[in-house]
Amino acid sequence: MVHAPTLTKAGTSDAPSAEPSRRRRGRRHRGEDLTKILFVLPAAAAMIALFGYPVVKNLLMSLQDYTLKTFFTGAAPFVGLDNYVAVVEHQLFSKAMVNTALFTIGSIVFQFVIGLALALFFNKRFALGGILRSLLLLPWLLPLIVSSATWRSILEQDSGILNRSLAWLGVIDEPVPWLNSPSFALIAVIGVNIWIGIPFNVTLLYSGLKEIPGELYEAGALDGATGWNAFRHITWPNLRAVASVLLMLGVVYTVKVLDVILGMTGGGPANATQTLATQSYERSFIDFKFGQGAALSNILIAISLVFAVLYLRGTRRAVDE
Amino acid sequence: MFSKRISAALAGATALSLALAACGDGGGSSSSSGDTVTSLSILDYYNNDPDKTLVQQGLDACASQLGITLQRETVPGDTLIQKVLQQASSKTLPDVLMLDNPDVQQIAATGALAPLNEMGLSGDGFAQGIVDAGSYDGKLYGLAPVTNTIALFYNTKILADEGVQPPKTWDELKAAAKKLTKPGRYGMAFNANATYEGSWQFLPPMWTNGGDETDLTSPQVAEALQLWVDLVQSGSASKSVINWTQGDVKDQFVAGKAAMMVNGPWNIPSLNETPQVKWEVVQFPVNKTGQTPIAPLGGEAWTVPLNKEQAKQQKAADFVKCLTSDENEMRWAKSRFTVPTRTALGPEHVKEVPSMKAFSEQVANARSRTGKLGDKWPDAAKVIYQAIQLALTGQATAQDAFKKASGG
Amino acid sequence: MHESQLRRTVYTAIGVLILCVMLFPVYWMLNASLQPSGNTLTASFLPLDPSFAGYRRAISEQGDNLITSVIIACGTVVLSLLVSAPCAYALAQFRSRWVGIGLLAILVSQMIPGIVIANALYTAYENLGLLNSIPGLIVANCSSGIPFAILILRSFMVSVPQSLVEAARVDGAGLLRAFVSIVLPISKNSLITAGLFTFLFSWSDFLFALTLTTKGGVRPVTLGIYQYLGTQVQNWNAVMATAVLSAIPAIVLLIAAQKYIAAGAIGGAIK
Repeated sequence: MVHAPTLTKAGTSDAPSAEPSRRRRGRRHRGEDLTKILFVLPAAAAMIALFGYPVVKNLLMSLQDYTLKTFFTGAAPFVGLDNYVAVVEHQLFSKAMVNTALFTIGSIVFQFVIGLALALFFNKRFALGGILRSLLLLPWLLPLIVSSATWRSILEQDSGILNRSLAWLGVIDEPVPWLNSPSFALIAVIGVNIWIGIPFNVTLLYSGLKEIPGELYEAGALDGATGWNAFRHITWPNLRAVASVLLMLGVVYTVKVLDVILGMTGGGPANATQTLATQSYERSFIDFKFGQGAALSNILIAISLVFAVLYLRGTRRAVDE
Repeated sequence: MFSKRISAALAGATALSLALAACGDGGGSSSSSGDTVTSLSILDYYNNDPDKTLVQQGLDACASQLGITLQRETVPGDTLIQKVLQQASSKTLPDVLMLDNPDVQQIAATGALAPLNEMGLSGDGFAQGIVDAGSYDGKLYGLAPVTNTIALFYNTKILADEGVQPPKTWDELKAAAKKLTKPGRYGMAFNANATYEGSWQFLPPMWTNGGDETDLTSPQVAEALQLWVDLVQSGSASKSVINWTQGDVKDQFVAGKAAMMVNGPWNIPSLNETPQVKWEVVQFPVNKTGQTPIAPLGGEAWTVPLNKEQAKQQKAADFVKCLTSDENEMRWAKSRFTVPTRTALGPEHVKEVPSMKAFSEQVANARSRTGKLGDKWPDAAKVIYQAIQLALTGQATAQDAFKKASGG
Repeated sequence: MHESQLRRTVYTAIGVLILCVMLFPVYWMLNASLQPSGNTLTASFLPLDPSFAGYRRAISEQGDNLITSVIIACGTVVLSLLVSAPCAYALAQFRSRWVGIGLLAILVSQMIPGIVIANALYTAYENLGLLNSIPGLIVANCSSGIPFAILILRSFMVSVPQSLVEAARVDGAGLLRAFVSIVLPISKNSLITAGLFTFLFSWSDFLFALTLTTKGGVRPVTLGIYQYLGTQVQNWNAVMATAVLSAIPAIVLLIAAQKYIAAGAIGGAIK
């Protein structure tokens, strides 16, 4: 089925020839290992200083009866896995789980597909292209409290501009209860999250596209690879490293989205937009059951970890190829 | 294999953080020399004007009276508790701490606060609900100088145009709301969102009808919920009430999109900025004639966190005493459109600020949220807002909603 | 020639249209900021009778906060990139068992709830005297900037051709010099992109600003805006105006930075 050979950049395809030369080099430069360590040292130190304690703390907290009182007295008896049992048995757990999955999948798929389409579009040369692309990032400059308030007013059932416009266009007869109906609220919240995520995807994918050397397309064109074929055999393989880290980060950032949901619906109406993240927040800062809040956020971390491992296996294969 | 390495690295990091924490501990809080206290730190959530400045005036007056200086920190309201917890765990709580009155008992239960009654303060002369809210286990931990509550605002022009009298009973309320509803305008607006604010707005109907947070499955409570359901389902109130904050409710009222609203006196300064909207306030209507309108007490209490330095703790208590003096209560009541908590000040206050009359009456019979359940109130409040959400979205009837919301 | 000219004009038109759709909420916010009430309940599509009260307030009260935000965001970008770029290169090009572990650790760090990190930093900062300081906030914001920049830069640096570095090494350059003179220049695009988002993360930070400041001195706009959002009374008019105003200097920076994302940086270098 594969007509044209996959064209990739020089670096990844000449791996075999790079291997012996690297060995040779290793012999030549004795102090090299030290230099290599220096490359990583600042980042490693920063990571440990910034995250070491919080990671451990979050793990421990989930095994403790950590309440309001703990903050004042420091006493937090260990309770084993009780917190995990409590959060899993909670009546909203399965709903939050399903909502988290829908929220994450819905957000990522549309953000990525729309982001890729826009990145390909802006990759063409036309007047004002650069400025228009930069302006796409504007939503990221607005404080979330402001954009969620604006979206709430846009989605308002009676006076919101969305329903007014749709009615004016004749698309709807009755105003849509975007945020007022348990069956629409999740869709509305996902929609807003997609809107927030698109600029992120466009910008990263666009810089990925810019890294693909034009010669590859010229060479491909000679072999008849244009349009869809060029995308499939040149663009996509060369974009894979960026796309996969983008999707990975997308999952990590999306499963823990909190402020968008809190700002739009507060988890309502009637718990229709509760996710693991909002539940974790609620357990910690409304109910003051910090142990349970930490347990929920660790469950979230475990879910992200599954994707992280998949991602790492994928990248290792890509490097080894 | 690698998990062992990671945990080793993490253990190192933890040790590092702990070591950092340990070496800093000595320096901290011994800034004031001897027993002469020259300054107090304060944490509150009056972070926006006009309240921020008006509160500052009262604080400054008391500071100069006690001959001290103040370091005041203000944070956004919904982040106050988070801040308090951080400061508690690093032992850096302020000398004087403002808390929303229903939170006082929960914080007091942790043992973080100093009992004010052992430092020369007492609840004598204060409204009972205020003393209830500030007390835990028989001791007084917080006192609110001024309080507020919610009542029914109505747009006088719209009601006059439609020939509607301000409602006194629920039937009148429903009829009035229906008659006042026109295209682009609802008769009534209130807040029924999924937060404690939604629960707070539900208390006037619930308590007025004899309902009680100790038994949320009673018919009186269900009847009160039915009132909210009727108002929304008849189209007299927007379906959006389940997402509105009290601020949104006020915006609807000001925009002329609601003829009546349940809200509090803190809106008066901004309502005064839109003089084209004419309004009056009445107490919340009763279900059956003969009932007394009962509303919840709002407002913030001032507390004194435990302090190793006795002199500082005493000075902080003196400061709270000054804040709750006749003079400061009247200052804040007049400037901030609140009601003084010393009952003796009531008549004089209403004379000076007539627009507060209905609120003053409503406060006279008002109750504190934590009066009956104490630090268990938040659990009940959560059930209340969840039940309201279930009923207003049609997922449960008013009769079943509370049972369903409490996990039944 | 003529035809492609036409096609480009059509592309520009489509681009403008896409932007109008994507930025409609931003326009709607602008509209709200020009209403005396700060909301659009009674607003028409165009703010025909604009009120500038919110802007007057924002300009007089938020100027310092805006400068603070810019300094913190730029500081975060510089520090994050300095720390991340060498590490990203190492993770992309060095062969070691530690690469996988490092990547996993970085990913895990991004899964930790921000509030847990903020609480831990508060205690540490209290002891180190870093509360209420711009360096303190820069370091805190690096907790999102560094891991993100490492991951992004690495995904671009994987495809930096070994042969380029090899050539420099043959000429006698050390690893570090080869990195600075060869790898960094051809990674310009990815450095700009990573820096861009590091800027944006830092710009939109609210949590660290709230947690790690205890008095008014150092206050980014995201926190400053809350002086209009009280527990009971909200001044949306000033909130919206502040949001509009604070976006202006940042968008100028973004447009300037994005201009430098050029085509085929690596491709050009190979030739």
